[in-house]
Amino acid sequence: MSILIALPKGRIGDDLLPKLAGGPLALDEKAIKSRVLRIPTATPGVEALLLKGADLPRYVAGGVAALGIVGSDTLDELDPELLELADLKFGACRLSLCAVEGVELEALRRKPHLRLATKFVKATQAWLEAEDLTAELVPLQSSVELAPILGLADGIVDLVQTGGTLRAHGLKEIAILGRTSARLVASRGAYLSQPERIAPLAKVLIEALTEK
Amino acid sequence: MPTHTPHFPDLLFPASKRLRRWEAAFMELLESHGYQELRPSLVLRESPEERAVRFFDGEDLVALRWDFTTALARMLARRFPEPPPRISYAGSVFRRASQPWEPVEHSEVGCEHICAHGENSHQVDIELARMLMAVPAVMGLKGGILALGHAALLRRPLEAEQLPKALADRLVWALDRRAQHRAAEAMGDHPAAKRLLAHTEILLADPEGEVGLAALESSPYAGLLEEERAHLQVTLGTLRPMLPEGLALRLDLADVKGLDFYTGPTLRLWAPGVQQELAAGGRYDGLFPELGRPWTAAGFCVRLTRLLDLSETRPELFSEN
Repeated sequence: MSILIALPKGRIGDDLLPKLAGGPLALDEKAIKSRVLRIPTATPGVEALLLKGADLPRYVAGGVAALGIVGSDTLDELDPELLELADLKFGACRLSLCAVEGVELEALRRKPHLRLATKFVKATQAWLEAEDLTAELVPLQSSVELAPILGLADGIVDLVQTGGTLRAHGLKEIAILGRTSARLVASRGAYLSQPERIAPLAKVLIEALTEK
Repeated sequence: MPTHTPHFPDLLFPASKRLRRWEAAFMELLESHGYQELRPSLVLRESPEERAVRFFDGEDLVALRWDFTTALARMLARRFPEPPPRISYAGSVFRRASQPWEPVEHSEVGCEHICAHGENSHQVDIELARMLMAVPAVMGLKGGILALGHAALLRRPLEAEQLPKALADRLVWALDRRAQHRAAEAMGDHPAAKRLLAHTEILLADPEGEVGLAALESSPYAGLLEEERAHLQVTLGTLRPMLPEGLALRLDLADVKGLDFYTGPTLRLWAPGVQQELAAGGRYDGLFPELGRPWTAAGFCVRLTRLLDLSETRPELFSEN
């Protein structure tokens, strides 16, 4: 039976595929271009699944994929039942509170009815509690930067890497809630019941992907 | 892959037949070892747990039985001046799982060994391990993995360092996920960070366990854990020759699930590649003293609902259906 490794599409996937090239878990180039989602690797019996980041933990937690790479922001938000074997340290971002240029944190604190738009509801709630603040959370899945510009929210909580997207929309960071990076996760059952199969693959991924 | 099961599953003819057969076979195994069945009420009245299915009986908030060990312990503490030493049970429990696709109603069978007068707890632990080793054959599983852990390997260092509960909980959460980096994040610059992180690194280093057991000699807590290390070594040596065909025995030094309940050796039965353990148990010497009885106890529970699910989704793991 093949071992499946779940890899994310998008930002983290773009970072990690070149790192795997040439190694034992390099993905078959032809298969990637063919747009199939189940890709052979250079190791017989090991295949990769290309998945949306938010779906990836479910495949690993459900035992379909033995290993996976996913951002810690997604793990913190979903808190899935799986193992987190390593911080790969790439794809690093800040989870930040952002507002329109000119608006400071104290101004948001003073608002009687603060509204924050975010995809990261759990992380935002935890930060609000630690700061002894209350806010109405407006859950959004994408283009969160538009919310404060168009009056849907007073601020947003979102991932920030270079800050370019924020600046392009006239926004700036006013508080950092936490830092995120890509993590290697494993199916609990696969790892604990068959470590002799899974641990060596985990080691290959850690060596190939960990940012030095 | 686990099927999506409804929270309160109906069992149709094949599943009902299989469940009845397994329950009967397992209870017969336990009876042959001197275990006698007790049946605590399906309704628990005191302090219903948050994950329980709760409802009002008049003005009293009660719950459907969420855990046999708790239900039995309360019953025994109330009704028996001396504990019956060997108890078995079978039936349903109701508790909401952390994953939304898991059932709320589970069928379980299990046993508890309770001692009033400080009997040799090591002998009891071996007796339970031997019975658990027989479970795959009873259930028709072709093989399995028995993972042996010890709650004290982390409990005792945490107690020694007197970590605040919130920090201890974060450390346990990190270790449960095998996330040494999260453990480091949690500990930050706490004075005990270096010692505890050196220790957790050893617990996590070897997923197969035995190299890790030897490496515990270099842990900052090696002296504190001498007895537990010796116990694990002796247990491995005792159980290995008794292993039935198809069953592997492994150490899981980082097994911290239920750390606030278990006080000594822990046991978990896995089938290869399956996501959740099929049976679990261990020593829990703290429960009866909380109920006013100076008794020690150990036991395990077989999760029949998971086995039923497995028999449908992974029939190749069974020698017959």
